[in-house]
Amino acid sequence: CPNGPGNCQVSLRDLFDRAVMVSHYIHNLSSEMFNEFVSTVFLAYFQKKPFRSFIECPNNPNELNLLDRFQDKRYAQGKGFITMALNSCHTSSLPTPEDKEQAQQTHHEVLMSLILGLLRSWNDPLYHLVTEVRGMKGVPDAILSRAIEIEEENKRLLEGMEMIFGQVIPGAKETEPYPVWSGLPSLQTKDEDARHSAFYNLLHCLRRDSSKIDTYLKLLNCRIIYNNNC
Amino acid sequence: LFLFASLLNGQSPPEKPKLIKCRSPGKETFTCWWEPGADGGLPTNYTLTYRKEGETLIHECPDYKTGGPNSCYFSKKYTSIWKMYVITVSAINQMGISSSDPLYVDVTYIVEPEPPVNLTLELKYPEDRKPYLWIKWSPPTLTDVKSGWFSIQYEIRLKPEKATDWETHFAPKLTQLKIFNLYPGQKYLVQIRCKPDHGYWSEWSPESFIQIPNDFPVKDTSMWIF
Repeated sequence: CPNGPGNCQVSLRDLFDRAVMVSHYIHNLSSEMFNEFVSTVFLAYFQKKPFRSFIECPNNPNELNLLDRFQDKRYAQGKGFITMALNSCHTSSLPTPEDKEQAQQTHHEVLMSLILGLLRSWNDPLYHLVTEVRGMKGVPDAILSRAIEIEEENKRLLEGMEMIFGQVIPGAKETEPYPVWSGLPSLQTKDEDARHSAFYNLLHCLRRDSSKIDTYLKLLNCRIIYNNNC
Repeated sequence: LFLFASLLNGQSPPEKPKLIKCRSPGKETFTCWWEPGADGGLPTNYTLTYRKEGETLIHECPDYKTGGPNSCYFSKKYTSIWKMYVITVSAINQMGISSSDPLYVDVTYIVEPEPPVNLTLELKYPEDRKPYLWIKWSPPTLTDVKSGWFSIQYEIRLKPEKATDWETHFAPKLTQLKIFNLYPGQKYLVQIRCKPDHGYWSEWSPESFIQIPNDFPVKDTSMWIF
């Protein structure tokens, strides 16, 4: 230990580097998992039935064309399946900065608590997501392995963020309550439409929240470590 | 009688317009474009309306001008990156109205940056090492990389003017690159493009040129064993 025994801690810069890498990776994984779910499980399910609307899937242009073909006019105007599937996320009670200016005006401590709250509130749903996906028939292995990896990485990132929080705001105890997920019954319901819709919504929310975490964390990294000159 | 007369004139309600795509240059604003259908032989107006996730209010496009013809521009004020937009275009003339299929847009995933700027090429001759081509550039103007709001990766491609194949290099996050192996006496073309973490490649930048002098060390010495 360079600063003597008992003074051994990873530097804040290194902690941020690792946290940014992990959050970037989680966002990639959840975005891939969402796209994969839509293009395999979701499509296969609705191909047996009249088609509903699908979301634009920009990472893969071929997929977009495929999904485009299945737009269903009956559900189009305001009652689309997507709209139906997009219930609000369980984390929507957490007020999050809407754009860059708002995020930049938000204090470190608030942004960090927000990241911690988001990470904690996903612990439980991620655990159940893995269990439920494992028990589902016809789900590609890639989806399960991504779900498992996201669950693990989410815990790693939470640990890292707690260490960062402790270094940036020494002595502060972060004990804000976090939003609790109560969506397990909807993932287990016998109503197939509702179940698919619940999975869709959960994966959509996971992608969105991992994007929020990644965005806020990269802002904090550039602000605290690089003095806004990344 | 009016309807009948109109049909004889070949006049009809407009054809359904089609929303082509929406793109955001830097996750702060975005623009959507549509393709009008046939106008039914009558003056036809186009209206873009949208609704945001979790809201019931329907809004009209805030700006039809900035993005050019058949487009709608959403300035910072109207852009929210954590909400899905459901967007529709309607064509209206005297005979009736027809609306496009809706497009679902999540701004975080429709980012297509402008190409990088200030591409500069310079030959460097360090005393103790091989000379090299030094390629430098700056991030596109409409993206804020410094604050961490947005991160991009770059791809550089170069080739001698008359060659057919490009040599490509990937540069995550850096804004400079050194190229050591070049054919002497050739004029090289260089281009660069960039891509955000989740989104689309930009267009390639305009071509930049550099003449490699004849006395520049040869690209691949093993070629000269024969």
